Amino acid sequence: MSFYSFTRGCFFLLGLLTAGFSSAQTPLTTDGSNKRDPVFIDDGATLVYGVDENRDLIRLRQLDLDTLESKPYYESANRHHVEVAFSRDGRYISYTECTGNLTAQFVIKDLQEKKDYFVKHSGRGGTRSPAFAPDNSVVVYAFAEKGPQQLWSVDMEAKNKKQLTQCEGISNWPSFTPDGKTIVFSNTRENNYEIYSMDANGSNEKRLTENTIMDIRPVVSPNGKQIAFTSMRNGFYNVYVMNFDGSDVRQVTDSEERDDYPTWHPDGKRLAVVSERKGKFDLYMVEVPSSGKITTNR
Amino acid sequence: MLDFGNFKARDCGNGLGRRSFLKTASALPFAFGAGYGGIDLEAARKLGDRAKAKSVILLWLWGGPSHLDTFDPKPDAPMEYRGPFGVIPTKTDGLQVTELLPQLAKRSHLYSVIRSMQTTNGGHPGAGTVGLTGFEENPTVHPNFGSIMSKHRGRSGALPPFFYLGQGIPRDLPRRIEGYGGGTLGKAYDPFLVSCSENGKVGIPTLDLLPGMTPNRIHHRRSLMAQLDDTSRKLDGKGVKGWNQAHHAAYGLLTDPKARDSFDLTTETQATRDAYGQTSFGQSCLLARRLVETGVPYVQVNWSEYVETFTPNGDFGWDTHIYNFELLQDRHCPIFDRAFSALLDDMNSRGLLEDTLVIATGEFGRTPKISNRAAREHHKDCYFSVWAGAGIQPGRVIGESDKRGERPVTEPITPLMMGTTIAELSGIGARERAEMKVLDGGSVINELL
Repeated sequence: MSFYSFTRGCFFLLGLLTAGFSSAQTPLTTDGSNKRDPVFIDDGATLVYGVDENRDLIRLRQLDLDTLESKPYYESANRHHVEVAFSRDGRYISYTECTGNLTAQFVIKDLQEKKDYFVKHSGRGGTRSPAFAPDNSVVVYAFAEKGPQQLWSVDMEAKNKKQLTQCEGISNWPSFTPDGKTIVFSNTRENNYEIYSMDANGSNEKRLTENTIMDIRPVVSPNGKQIAFTSMRNGFYNVYVMNFDGSDVRQVTDSEERDDYPTWHPDGKRLAVVSERKGKFDLYMVEVPSSGKITTNR
Repeated sequence: MLDFGNFKARDCGNGLGRRSFLKTASALPFAFGAGYGGIDLEAARKLGDRAKAKSVILLWLWGGPSHLDTFDPKPDAPMEYRGPFGVIPTKTDGLQVTELLPQLAKRSHLYSVIRSMQTTNGGHPGAGTVGLTGFEENPTVHPNFGSIMSKHRGRSGALPPFFYLGQGIPRDLPRRIEGYGGGTLGKAYDPFLVSCSENGKVGIPTLDLLPGMTPNRIHHRRSLMAQLDDTSRKLDGKGVKGWNQAHHAAYGLLTDPKARDSFDLTTETQATRDAYGQTSFGQSCLLARRLVETGVPYVQVNWSEYVETFTPNGDFGWDTHIYNFELLQDRHCPIFDRAFSALLDDMNSRGLLEDTLVIATGEFGRTPKISNRAAREHHKDCYFSVWAGAGIQPGRVIGESDKRGERPVTEPITPLMMGTTIAELSGIGARERAEMKVLDGGSVINELL
């Protein structure tokens, strides 16, 4: 048995003993530092995420899922990097970089051509939650320019900026379906975050959840049939999965500590989540239940 | 000077409202010298009976946390005010908090919330000084509430009477708070700064002159003194003098086993350490509990050194001009909710809430109207504070803000009143305050008692 196999075996056994999940799960990290925004790359072989490197720096790290060893994504980064996203083919990365006090720049990096593009807006707001269209035609993100936070899009060179939504309230966390035709997102017009879907051009909006408590960070599954999201509906941050039309909500995690930031593994059967256990924040892999504890969206 | 005021106040048994009595009592010594003519000493004695606070823990939420997104939500306000978060019930009638504070909602029977705080300054360092001293910083910098406690109680044993837990003196990018320490009482009453990492590793910045020096590595006085002598020889005469003054307290406490032990969080059970969370703020709250348990009168736990929430090398204060809703949801509130809840549970189970006053507040609130950046700006006219322990009647909501959270609709409660209440509950009565020439004109927040 290799060292790495042994390590993974230990993690697996630790996972079986870990409480707070409705289905099988495995811890991927154990350092306990505050983490955010995990996203799979390399066909699921690597997980990139943001972490509090120290008290005054959020850096991106990449975790090799075979060895469970992690290293900085950008070795020399010395500014906060948050809200990371990758295109599905791995050619592009985007994130928000803190460049000064209350100042952030939204960068799209073409990793193939080694070119950087910067999205420009008036005002000093921060961009949120970029999502690449599956065909790399646009990046959709959230930004508040002169009022309510809306969803916007730009092309891969940060040009042709368009405002996709004209909603009241705050819009955030866009996620594309695999065919690129539909976007799901959250909006607060009904007093708290609810999940909606709309055509990629901003039309044909449908409401998918209805609670007095937040439903946030919707992420469409690789086959486009399910949406993973975080909700406070049972009184605590937990991760759920529902059908794309909002039906058949299944609770994935069940803890009074926080479970958040779900992201789909490319196999569509598992999620990576950031879970707080005993006061420590770590990445876990959790299987998506096909059935089980059902909750309602009403 | 003799302002009897119109505040709702209970009768003090002598015909004066208690608040009015206190204001009168605090004013008289300045009006008539130290004679205290006309004060009902029996009433003063009764008030003294309420001085239950052996210690005070102030959780200083530096940067100005949004009151609408935490303890004073306005779910019926227009959309451009109310924010994105749902509200949840608590154990207290009439108290709803946002869904960002689920653990604290379950523990509202342990604390009371003031929703009508108001300050006079809308900038961080200035408001910080007002928030920690009760007064504007010009022309005279008044003493921090902890420094008043420090002078009143004096030093008992090796541990200094007034601790700051954090990375440094609270500041924004341009400058630090002037009212961080002794002010008119002198630098002898400045706080003693100790840092605590997310893993519970305690650091004492004043020991940085000695490489490798940590509390856990100092085992007996002889070895310490040898290192001190060696360090002294490396400094010139002027440096030695300044160094000796600044570091005497640090090295003194580290040679005292009891004092040194108070910094060692590894002696806590893992379950206790876990409960506070693996964050610097959480472990600092645990350290604060250990310090008051050892007898330290005043501990101020600073959320951050810098107010700025998103700036290079900043440590994520509550000054959320940008990413207000994201950071409160993703970072600040989960950390605060867990750490403060653990502190309340821990203090309560150990009986420490009986004689320890615990307060959480910042220097101001944030604008009810959401900004064009989908965030909130500074707001001095209305904010919150949370009070527990030492005779505070828990499970209550005190004061009320208007429908949008812009201003109090009840009489505003000020930092000076906060400081006076801390002093009064700590046994620093009108006479003592007058003798120290501090908190002049302050009145007690009677509704808390």
